Amino acid sequence: MSSHREAPEISKDPVADNADTYAFVSPDSPSTVTIITNYVPLQAPPGGPNFFEFGDDVLYSIHIDNNGDALAEITYEFRFETILRDPDTFLYNTGPIASLDDPNWNKRQFYTLTRVKGNQRRVLGSGLACPPCNIGPRSTPDYPALGAAAVHALGGGIKVFAGQRNDPFFVDLGSIFDLGDLRPFQNLHLIPTAAAPGVDATKTLNIHSIAIQIPIGDLTANGSVPTDVMSASSVLGIWGAASRRKMRVVDAANDEKSESGPWIQVSRLGNPLFNEVLVPLGKKDRWNASQPVNDKDYAAGVAHPELGKLLPVLYPKVFPNLAALSSPRADLEAILLTGLPAGIVAGFQNSTGKVLADMLRLNVAVPPSGDPNPLGLIGGDAAGFPNGRRVSDDVVTIELRAIAGVTYPLVDKTYTPDAAAGLITQGITPSATRYQAAFPYVGDPYDGYDTPSS
Amino acid sequence: MSSTTRRSLFKAPLVVPAGAPLAGGAAAERPTLAQSRRTFLQASAGAAAGVAVVTTGPKLAAAALHGPSNTAPLSAIIKPSGPPPPETVMAYVRDAARGEVTVLSGMRETTYRDPELAKRLIDAGR
Repeated sequence: MSSHREAPEISKDPVADNADTYAFVSPDSPSTVTIITNYVPLQAPPGGPNFFEFGDDVLYSIHIDNNGDALAEITYEFRFETILRDPDTFLYNTGPIASLDDPNWNKRQFYTLTRVKGNQRRVLGSGLACPPCNIGPRSTPDYPALGAAAVHALGGGIKVFAGQRNDPFFVDLGSIFDLGDLRPFQNLHLIPTAAAPGVDATKTLNIHSIAIQIPIGDLTANGSVPTDVMSASSVLGIWGAASRRKMRVVDAANDEKSESGPWIQVSRLGNPLFNEVLVPLGKKDRWNASQPVNDKDYAAGVAHPELGKLLPVLYPKVFPNLAALSSPRADLEAILLTGLPAGIVAGFQNSTGKVLADMLRLNVAVPPSGDPNPLGLIGGDAAGFPNGRRVSDDVVTIELRAIAGVTYPLVDKTYTPDAAAGLITQGITPSATRYQAAFPYVGDPYDGYDTPSS
Repeated sequence: MSSTTRRSLFKAPLVVPAGAPLAGGAAAERPTLAQSRRTFLQASAGAAAGVAVVTTGPKLAAAALHGPSNTAPLSAIIKPSGPPPPETVMAYVRDAARGEVTVLSGMRETTYRDPELAKRLIDAGR
């Protein structure tokens, strides 16, 4: 999946596991960009009594590169603090939670948002309340109201939200990890099975989102609001990251937990599935700790993706052209590591230059689509992935098709993709309630009482 | 990330939080002032091999006061060098062969090359 438990170390540390990052020009506020980073993946909604929350000991960051050097010129930092009203009860809430300051809510979480630009640090908001987890009809009888109350307008056109959501990422996990079972040709697999509909494995699972809506002029290098799609200054590099202090000591005898030292990055995410699919198991932890500017170290996995070699083996005679393709995948390198330069897709570019770096690349001069295509750019919709990433983009299908060769003609007109490459699909259509039309765009979480339901 | 530097540990006395809680310990045992490298070493006797954590717990404080290698009065080796840091100071032997000890204090991480200190820390953990 995108980056849920994608590396050995971070799979044991869910509160710091950056599962997905999204960045798009806000459809209902096109002078702004919305960025969402998700953590604590694969939450089963009934997971009490210690319901899910952010880590008080984790530094959550959203990084912005606005000059193509693959380094962050601007960073938004989020730090959380959990406050317990009554330590003498085991209960998360002692009655219905009707508001974010309801005395029945025992274990609350607040956060501070800081903008960092160079050596300048500016606190944009503090004491910002998260919503509770969605527990059930007795505890959280009007969850949409609680979620809405947790959208904070900070002034300067900035909105922020941090809290539990329904995971917007949709994927048939059981299928893809069962030796690359792909639709619509499960019967053509080396170990064939009968055709079966796609299963949305994350449909009723929750996640914790950090969402921020920022005026475009706050993010660009010169403070402008670009309108020229072909201008280099229109492209932002964006990625999320989580860090922990270098050392932690648990002193049980004194009931103390101490931390010290600088922040050490333990997770990051730009493009979906990058670490998941393109970085080998033995390097995934190192990748999570490294910076995008050093991603040339991982370029070989992009130029010669393992999955691209496996598909013709797993599906004999289905991908003959892919099997014969031995050249480095310059198409994938452009999509994932540099952005697409001008001249590849008519009227579009999202290049950040020559530095190989895994970042979402968002051309903010491309207006939001009135009719979003979940296949994004390969579906003819330049407002979607890999131009940034919207919450409803089907990035699994897009990247599977790209690896299967659909995008190779972008760099070699003589190459003909296999017919099967353009047919790959997850066979999943997310429900309309999964998303919202307005900030924070991710839908309310499923509640624990009703989910899972028979 | 802070940069890692290498210099003599003797130039940077280690300190502990003055107000840190001392669960179950007598007030007289609480080292409220900066500690010298010597007391740091003695305090580390209670830590795991190769890793030292300067805390104000009673066991470690007692070790600092009564450890076998403590040959000088405590009052003679405590020299305040400035306000105590708000967080626990931690240290570990980063590379025993090279005699490198890394000290973490607040957001700072500093690696010192001090073979004698590295050896004593390792010996203290045996």
